[in-house]
Amino acid sequence: MVQIDLAEVPVRQANELIREYGAQGEDIDIVNPDARHHIGVGLTDPVTVRLHGSAGYFCAGLTDAARFEVESNVGWGLGDNMYTGSVVVGGNASAIAGVAIRGADIVIRGNMGSRAGQVMKAGTLLCGGNANFMAGYLMYGGRIVILGDSGERVGEDMAGGEIYVGGKIQSLGSDAKMGDSEGAEIDDIREFLDRYEISYKGDFQKIVNEGKKLHYKTSEQQMRSIPFVAFSGKSDYWNPKIQEDIHIKSQIGRYRVRGYGGARELPHLSDITFAREIANLNEISDPVSKVEMHTLIGGKHGAQPLDLTMPVMIAPMSYGALSRSTKQAVGMASSLAGIAENTGEGGMSDAQRGAAKQLIFQMLGGRLGWNIHDMKRANGLEIYISQGAKPGFGGQLMAKKVTKELAEIRGIPAGIDLRSPSRHPDILGGDDLLIKVEEMREATGYKLPVSVKLGAGRIRDDIKIAFKDGFDFVELDGMQGSTGAGGAEVMEYVGIPTISAIMDALDGLAEIDALGDIQIILMGGLRDGVDAVKSLCLGADAVAFGNATIVAGGCISCMQCHVGQCVTGIATQDPEHEKRYRPEIEAHNIHRFLESVRWQIAALTHALGYDNVKSLNRDDLVALTPEAAAITRLPYRPDLRERPSLVEAV
Amino acid sequence: MTAKDNGGASKKMLLPAELPDDTGDLHFVPAPCQVACPVGTDAPSYIGFIWEGKFAEAFEAITATNPFSSICGRVCDAPCEPACRRVQADGAVQIRNLKRFVMDEVGNTLDPPPIPVTQKETIAVVGSGPAGLVAAHDLSTAGYEVHVYEMTDRLGGLMIWGIPAFRLPPGIIVEDIERLTKRCPGLEIHLNTALGDDITLEELKDRHDAVVLAIGSWWGKTMGIPGDDDSRVIDGVQFLRDVNDGARPEMPETVVVVGGGDVAMDACRVAKRLPGCKDVKVIYRRGPDEIPARAIELEGAIKEGIEFIYHTQQVSLATKGNHLSLTCIKTESGEPDEDGRRSPVNVPGSEHEIECGMVIASIGQQGICAHLDEKGMMLSDRVRTDWDTMLTDDPKVFACGDGAFGGSTIVMAMHHGQRVAYYVKAFLEGHKNPMPYRQPYRTRRVPLAQDLEWEKLPVQEPDFHGLGEKPIEFPEIEDTYPWTEARDEAARCYRCDAETGTADYSVRHREDIFAMARTNPLDEKAHAAMLARRLEPRSNPFPEDRLATLDDLTFLPANLTRLVIDPYREACRIDTELGAGRFTMTAPFLATGFDDAPDQVRRAVAEGLRTGGCPYVGVRPIAEDVPWLQLVLPGQIAPSADATAQIHALGHQFRPVEATRLTDDQLLGLSVSSPDVLEETIPFALENGFDMLLLDGSRGLGTPWAELSGEPDLTILRDAVTILRRLRREEEIDLVFFGGVRSGTDTAKLIAMGSMAVILGVILGLAVGGEINANHEMQFAADRSDAERAEAVANILTASAQEASMMARCTGKTNLHNVEPEDLRAISKATAEATGIPLAGTL
Repeated sequence: MVQIDLAEVPVRQANELIREYGAQGEDIDIVNPDARHHIGVGLTDPVTVRLHGSAGYFCAGLTDAARFEVESNVGWGLGDNMYTGSVVVGGNASAIAGVAIRGADIVIRGNMGSRAGQVMKAGTLLCGGNANFMAGYLMYGGRIVILGDSGERVGEDMAGGEIYVGGKIQSLGSDAKMGDSEGAEIDDIREFLDRYEISYKGDFQKIVNEGKKLHYKTSEQQMRSIPFVAFSGKSDYWNPKIQEDIHIKSQIGRYRVRGYGGARELPHLSDITFAREIANLNEISDPVSKVEMHTLIGGKHGAQPLDLTMPVMIAPMSYGALSRSTKQAVGMASSLAGIAENTGEGGMSDAQRGAAKQLIFQMLGGRLGWNIHDMKRANGLEIYISQGAKPGFGGQLMAKKVTKELAEIRGIPAGIDLRSPSRHPDILGGDDLLIKVEEMREATGYKLPVSVKLGAGRIRDDIKIAFKDGFDFVELDGMQGSTGAGGAEVMEYVGIPTISAIMDALDGLAEIDALGDIQIILMGGLRDGVDAVKSLCLGADAVAFGNATIVAGGCISCMQCHVGQCVTGIATQDPEHEKRYRPEIEAHNIHRFLESVRWQIAALTHALGYDNVKSLNRDDLVALTPEAAAITRLPYRPDLRERPSLVEAV
Repeated sequence: MTAKDNGGASKKMLLPAELPDDTGDLHFVPAPCQVACPVGTDAPSYIGFIWEGKFAEAFEAITATNPFSSICGRVCDAPCEPACRRVQADGAVQIRNLKRFVMDEVGNTLDPPPIPVTQKETIAVVGSGPAGLVAAHDLSTAGYEVHVYEMTDRLGGLMIWGIPAFRLPPGIIVEDIERLTKRCPGLEIHLNTALGDDITLEELKDRHDAVVLAIGSWWGKTMGIPGDDDSRVIDGVQFLRDVNDGARPEMPETVVVVGGGDVAMDACRVAKRLPGCKDVKVIYRRGPDEIPARAIELEGAIKEGIEFIYHTQQVSLATKGNHLSLTCIKTESGEPDEDGRRSPVNVPGSEHEIECGMVIASIGQQGICAHLDEKGMMLSDRVRTDWDTMLTDDPKVFACGDGAFGGSTIVMAMHHGQRVAYYVKAFLEGHKNPMPYRQPYRTRRVPLAQDLEWEKLPVQEPDFHGLGEKPIEFPEIEDTYPWTEARDEAARCYRCDAETGTADYSVRHREDIFAMARTNPLDEKAHAAMLARRLEPRSNPFPEDRLATLDDLTFLPANLTRLVIDPYREACRIDTELGAGRFTMTAPFLATGFDDAPDQVRRAVAEGLRTGGCPYVGVRPIAEDVPWLQLVLPGQIAPSADATAQIHALGHQFRPVEATRLTDDQLLGLSVSSPDVLEETIPFALENGFDMLLLDGSRGLGTPWAELSGEPDLTILRDAVTILRRLRREEEIDLVFFGGVRSGTDTAKLIAMGSMAVILGVILGLAVGGEINANHEMQFAADRSDAERAEAVANILTASAQEASMMARCTGKTNLHNVEPEDLRAISKATAEATGIPLAGTL
């Protein structure tokens, strides 16, 4: 037994001590906790931690196996994402107690705040007193036991699990209903109560999911998509694409869903060109050796930065939207190219971790697959706020793809039309976000860069929060980004183009005099080294490729990613379909694509007269369309559209 | 009008309306098999249909451009197959065999509907081979009366006279021809009518408005060597003609066939089947790589025991005892000639003799017509014809097929037939300089086959019987696939047609990415070339003539600075009030446009509106129990007390309107169809207590389907809001927008810009099955039930409400009516100008 006095030791140091003692098997007494945040986060050893007093936010969060006992009260996010182990709170808990737990016992002897057990996957959350509103909000599994009153809208939008209420049920939430409890379940609860020495003799009412929102009611006839681009602004207003949309919606009675990405033409990097004549490309020999491209991303706050051989990363794409083999191939390619890969939503598989030398682990609002062990083996942590293809929307995975195995890694019921929450349980504003980032850093010892993924919307303001909340870098995703499934209208009509996003971001930072103080990774419709160089010139620190790597790896762009029966084995979870994808071969294809990107970046940088990609700047660019000129404020030079061939005939 | 425009118009008219031609779409790349097919068969679609077991649909796809589908299923040269992308892997998809399967399944039972004669002009077609009959077919289906003049006693030309029954049973030919004649009731057949002997060109020109010569290559060429006038030398075409006419001549023991083309293949295989014949030798002057015969015919002949002697050129022929002795010389490959094949060069001293009892010369064919020759219209072996116009020397006489361009394949002859039909039609329609003909590539957009084994399935070979048990009866050499094999073969298709372009990943971009992914990183030349290609700018997607459109507005999503409202599950109010609470609706939708629709449609729409809680705007009510906002047009029906609202239509000119509420809660409204009258109308409406102002972006409210004229005018909404803001009376009158609302997204945009509600017109028409015709009118057909129509209306209202509220929630709003202009950005300057919404990234 060791003691740590938080009046003497700052939390950051205390957490390191707790983990050290934990590794040695020592139980720990914390005195003077003084409601400080993040106490004990990141602990993964089966030791007991006793807090003599009250704890602040995220007490016992991101832990596994440890036992916490808190004498008094706790702030919000008690036991956040706990795997196993337990927390016993003598007093009350604030909002979102037991958020995203995956198997722990959380016992609150007093009352608990709103949204307790939000997005929990497994384990037991017990409240001895009354719960505030929306207990069990969006829970996927596990059980919540409330000995007192339920609070309003209990079980709101729960997808799985059970809620037992001893007292009064004030109101049921959306898609929740009263269920029948069996004797064995109640016996099990009483056994749990006995274990934690809680005396309760009353009855329980049970609440379960009603199942009205887990699936789309009507399925859309599967058919090939009409390429949208052919019709937008160039053909009849009531064009075949519009007619098809109306016909289908009038049959299914809901919005349409599809995969891939936005299809129509938007202002794009393609509408920008280089101010200077690019010399005969055939005369450029081995540019890669002549141009410094090495790029460090995310070291600003002392974390180990991502070490990129060129200013390029892989954009976040989930295992789930993509098959395991595809994620593996992309990971392998990223390693071969010396760049970083990203898990996207839905967890980290061993195959993916093994394949990618540098891997960013992404956290979404549903906390699907999120856990302390994978955080610790990641090379960077990322908070997803939104994505370019469907900003404002959580991930969407149609039932066909929510296989047993996938459901297990995500901790959700198999076979539901998964529509991930659009918000994080514990990020309702910039101040929450700041504390969340701190929790993640505390849990991983400040070793990893923490980034934020932002779909392009109100970027001018959003980036100021990202900067002020201390992120190491921003992954900025324009609306030309792709996705495995999303509302068809959302993909086309929500968000702003990638070139608008980077301009808004730079303007926002300039307004607070922070230009250059936070790294920006630009993505969303970037396809090659040309797009990369233009992005770097505009002010991005690096770029990320998503769909381009998938296309390089054999995607036939049929836009049916959401269906789950991808003929190339890419966007599927069906093992028979996945067999069609050969990760070793595709990894090399993707790698060659990345090497080609490298050559292009080097050749262009060299041709522009530089020996370092960091020298690329706005003066190297001009705009070819009035829109691109207005957005980027580059000189409008339509005359430069026609240029002689850049390669002399070989 | 330029020549190009002119031709474009005529080309358009040739296309059936129901199947848009995708070739104009840069992002649609037809599959290579379809491009390789001279008649543009949509092979990927019919293969997809076969996999799904939809034979009628497959039949439609096959026969759409090919009146001789059954014949082609047996004997087409199938240029599609070498073009198949799978040929490099484990063998091309057996496209011809799949066609054969479909035609055997349903070719006898399905008939496309007959097409009546609608044109006054008539056309003569001379010759009824594949070129002539396809020309006749295409012109008939375009509404012309076509007269076919055939010198023999049956239709079909070389298809019937040149191909032996073991490859093409006569019943198959009959099947196609019967289908064709049923489809073309305006087709008049004149058999046993030879040009020159039985009818003259002058007569044809007198009788008809145009003449098409499709006389074929009916006569074999002679070898032109000493001794080739021997009676034991016959030409291959004549030989096949005799056999196809029923002859089964006794053959000598050894037969030599000279030549390496399809006629040679058929001739040697026929000879092998005839009585007395033991050995058949084919001599060909080049090597096996250059032989023009189709691989499958060659293989069939070899399997049937025919000997091929390559690099051998005939020199002379003499009688030696009872036999013929063909003196030949060995050849070797020389320099490539014009068509890229290496010319044979004789090897001195390699003369040798081949003994035989008969020589069948199959070294080429020619068209002969003394009647045309007299008129100077013939070249040595065919009718002089200009490929670019398909015209002969006579401006009213066209020509096509082998008789115009030399020997080729059935499918190429069919292409000629289509081509000549196009030019004849352009001629009859008076187009002086039509656009060059090109076969349209149409896709039926069939979903991908999902067979799990598609990659592993090997080529499915139909059972091959060769000579069969009784060769002289010419039994078919191979079987049609059974269903299981057909399905497996169909599953092998890569479905190259199914690749779909997007702006950022057009086919070209994707091919560049593929190239990047498959190029050695050290190959700098290749990288330089790829980079140069990637540096080429795209054309400006927003040219100056691009109109302002709702498409070019996007929503700004909530992220960090605003809390997003979960669009999948959190509530968002969309209920809507008009006239400060005088009238409430569950959603911001009103319907219009069915005043003149068929009663059945009106009833169904009314039912759907009732279910969806959507009122109707019109000159007359749509049903008693659907709230009616009466459109009061000048000089028409007076305001009714039954109406929820009276909306007085001002159109494009302001005039003061005296309106009195006929019930306490009746709404008073004005509608304007031009932004120019807003300055007068808005103060008038405000001063006279009007509740609503209907802004007609369609510019033609009150005329049927006014929205079909194109993009709605968004400036009318912009200007109305500007005026109301200037007057500081924004909240005093409700703006309702009409024009071009196609979705909930459009609705949310219009509400953000200041509308309280929108009026749905064409969207509802389309939802209930209306079709937009060429005159921008909506037409309805009896193709669905009332219940289906009613449900469609309710469904489109639900889906639109979902979409609108989804947009509101992702901008962070829990009430659709709280969406504001600041939630929008424009992506084109034209739209920014027309709406007053800033360009994304500039504010």
